[in-house]
Amino acid sequence: MAVVSERVARSAKKTSTIPTLRQMVAERDRLTQDTGHYCGISELSLRDADPIRYERFYNKLHAAVLAARESARFVAASPGSREMGECLWGITTPEGDTLAVSMGFLSHTAIFPVAIRYMADNDYDVNDGIEDGDVYAVSDGKTGGVPHPGDFYSFTSICHEGEVVGWAVGINHLMENGAPVAGSWATFSVDTFMDGLVCPPMRTGRKLRQESWWKAIWERRTRASTMNILDDKMRLAGCAMINNAAHELLAEFGAEYYKRAIREVIEESRRMIVDNMRALMVPGTYNGCAFRLVKYEGLQNVWSHANKNTLIHVRASVEPNENGLMLDTEGSSRWGYHSYNATPGGADAAVFLGMINSFAHNTKVTAGIELAVQRHYAVGSIYNPDYEFTSNANLWAQTVALNSIGFNAVSRATFSRGYLEEAFTVDGNWGAFQGAGTTADGTSYGFTNFEWLGGTGRGAWCYKDGEPLVWAAWSQIATIGDAEEFEACVPPLFYLGRKLLPGYFGYGKYRGGPGNSAVHWCVEPGKHVALTRPNGGLSCTTSVGLGMSGGYPGPGSFMISARGTNLPDLIAEGETPRDARELLAQVDSGQLTVENLEIWKTDCPELALHDHDLFVDAAGSSGGWGDPLDRNPALVIQDLNDGVAPDYDFVSRMHGVVAAQNPDGEWVLDAAATREKRAALRKARLDDSLPAAEWWQQERAKVLAKDVVPEVHEMYSQSLSFAKFDGEFRRFWQLPADFSFSKE
Amino acid sequence: MAGEATISKELIAQLIEGTIDDDNTNRLQRLPRKDQDRFLNYVAVLQSRVSWPDQILLRLGDRLYVVRNASNQRVVKCDCGHEFGDYRQNWKLGCKVRVRRTLAEMRKVYDPAPACPEPGWQEVREFFCPHCATQHAVEVVAPGYPVVFEMLPDLDKFYREYLGQPLPDEAEDWYVDRTEHLTRHWAANATG
Repeated sequence: MAVVSERVARSAKKTSTIPTLRQMVAERDRLTQDTGHYCGISELSLRDADPIRYERFYNKLHAAVLAARESARFVAASPGSREMGECLWGITTPEGDTLAVSMGFLSHTAIFPVAIRYMADNDYDVNDGIEDGDVYAVSDGKTGGVPHPGDFYSFTSICHEGEVVGWAVGINHLMENGAPVAGSWATFSVDTFMDGLVCPPMRTGRKLRQESWWKAIWERRTRASTMNILDDKMRLAGCAMINNAAHELLAEFGAEYYKRAIREVIEESRRMIVDNMRALMVPGTYNGCAFRLVKYEGLQNVWSHANKNTLIHVRASVEPNENGLMLDTEGSSRWGYHSYNATPGGADAAVFLGMINSFAHNTKVTAGIELAVQRHYAVGSIYNPDYEFTSNANLWAQTVALNSIGFNAVSRATFSRGYLEEAFTVDGNWGAFQGAGTTADGTSYGFTNFEWLGGTGRGAWCYKDGEPLVWAAWSQIATIGDAEEFEACVPPLFYLGRKLLPGYFGYGKYRGGPGNSAVHWCVEPGKHVALTRPNGGLSCTTSVGLGMSGGYPGPGSFMISARGTNLPDLIAEGETPRDARELLAQVDSGQLTVENLEIWKTDCPELALHDHDLFVDAAGSSGGWGDPLDRNPALVIQDLNDGVAPDYDFVSRMHGVVAAQNPDGEWVLDAAATREKRAALRKARLDDSLPAAEWWQQERAKVLAKDVVPEVHEMYSQSLSFAKFDGEFRRFWQLPADFSFSKE
Repeated sequence: MAGEATISKELIAQLIEGTIDDDNTNRLQRLPRKDQDRFLNYVAVLQSRVSWPDQILLRLGDRLYVVRNASNQRVVKCDCGHEFGDYRQNWKLGCKVRVRRTLAEMRKVYDPAPACPEPGWQEVREFFCPHCATQHAVEVVAPGYPVVFEMLPDLDKFYREYLGQPLPDEAEDWYVDRTEHLTRHWAANATG
């Protein structure tokens, strides 16, 4: 009762002296828009008056969020959060604008102000009030800006003398989030009602403690309740540390200083980011595109309106301006009855990946990036649906490409500007698998294996080859995690192999870092185990549409299910496959017999596995840079001898290199023959190609005849419904005014 | 001050050639603020490496530049000397184009086989210099997709506002996509 009466009293007080959240958000918007400075802060008066004190203030804020992560994930956490970079803590202004973030997937700061705006617009602080240490759960894309419900957020309020002065926020990627498709990217969702545990901002605890009922939600609405409860405690433990630190700061510096300093911090970093953009970019227009194939036809019979294939078109342009840069996604596909839709908050969480990494490297990571990167998400598009119940369960499968397009614009700029050390090919091909099972004793479990999400190949630099595994666009902490941990999470699956996949990258003068492949062996699955694989790279195409400077973009990912095998025979021989290439070779040679071999280049339906079935994946490839015929022949030979390039005929043709193996089996270059071969390949290029004008005439005839497969036809129909791409398309192909891809 | 660091032309040349060592790469990547005179030093190094006298205004690709040519036009130019025309038109339309449409064709540039794009839904386009056959660009896009204009620089703004060295031939219409001039001409030829 005391709590209730305090809330009533606080509500009464708010009406007199304390601004409501709604008023604070409106004032922030007005001041920022009117002045171009965050909250109208045109002078950094605290910093200029006493920079040491100001930096000490910020360092304490920053230390609080860093400590939150490094402590909380060892208090209680799933392997996904403890082992890998799939978590984050931050502290924000009352309006949800980020002040400081921990290590981890830092672009998730983009959603903070979305959730707070929703709470403000809906008077959460008025009825029935917000008090210090209130805990809110958030996992909804529309109201909370959350990328996908597999990413779960805990917001805890920081209040001082009855006023909300900030929020501590903890986030992590759940091991399982209770959708019909088990795992954390419900890849066959048709709408939000199939996305699993979707929480609009809702209070689940008070005084930095969850209420008792909340545990039941994890236990009854998800398949990995033990893991999820651990993670829930982890998020809250970190938030409690941040809350305490904020109160210590308020006591040490005073509320007046605190309230002013948090505004200056954001304005300071905004200025620095804009300055960095000017220092690194070349003004102009950068265009990019990507595609994601969705093959639902035949798999969605229950929901007939979703039983169709879709070719998702990701289109974006980047244009630097006086206030930073504009990223415009107009021309991208419309939303659909599939799991790949985003919301503006979710799209931001992708776009800011590259932008934070590129432009906030030497300043405080705050909401300043949100002011410097202006975004246009056309209403009705896949980034801003005009249907309120779209699924966004698996948005990352296409929004990572959106990030890559923006990130590659920065690479093109730094290349042109001469900062070559920063210029590399950005792909972001990620993989993972997920599912659920029941052991022989009836224990059920759900799981996500993040491994190929944790570390991918980095695309080629413009001056050297890309590296394997060292990069993850969504986190500073590239790690594929501990195989032993993942085996513990999925009882019947064991690793037969886990390694780089030779030859699996985009080629060029410099090649991308090789992708990865693992062979999972199913042993005594008990009553049931089945999995799906969502994956950004499971697109039936490359991760992005444009190579860099003549290099090939990184290939898509794939997976193989081999069910009904003679694996025990191979185990007896000691010859089990260790990656996708070895498995396919053993099948071809007849060494491995398989009753049901399937190769999946896009999302597979649930794969049930039995004893000695194999599940093999490949992901994390990256793209090349430059003309493959310009590659130093010595590097080609090195790749052959190191096993990075497994197929001599392929690389000989790709790079125009001639070599032979010596008696020791080492490849040795034939320099003269290489020169001849390269000359021949250059001649073949000219012989086999058409002048663009001639090619254009042929292609235009096909466009006029709409001679494309139905999915491509619909893709154009959708993208041409947006004026910007419609204009570009018509101008390029010089189409008559009445030309249309619309259905009759 | 870190912002005043000067990076030697020798080091820039090593970056261009791909011979820079990891220590120097790390040092450059960790500069809190980049050396502001890098662009002009970069262009000077590039200029010393090409076989023609035209002034390099911007590097677009490994072997591709925007230059001011002997006729005082801003054009895209290949290392080999081939000119692709006005830089406001997508230079890819001055290339020769090879398209890989079938699985067998794509299999020659993607490995292993399951990593190939899906024929029908996607195609691989390769853009070559018509003179030296350098592969300047690759697109993997849907059939019928307009050739992507990867980057149209606003050179006047760059030189005046970013570098503080305005170009002598500034004009209102330098930052205008003129690709349609070409496609309109092609369409007229098709119907004419």
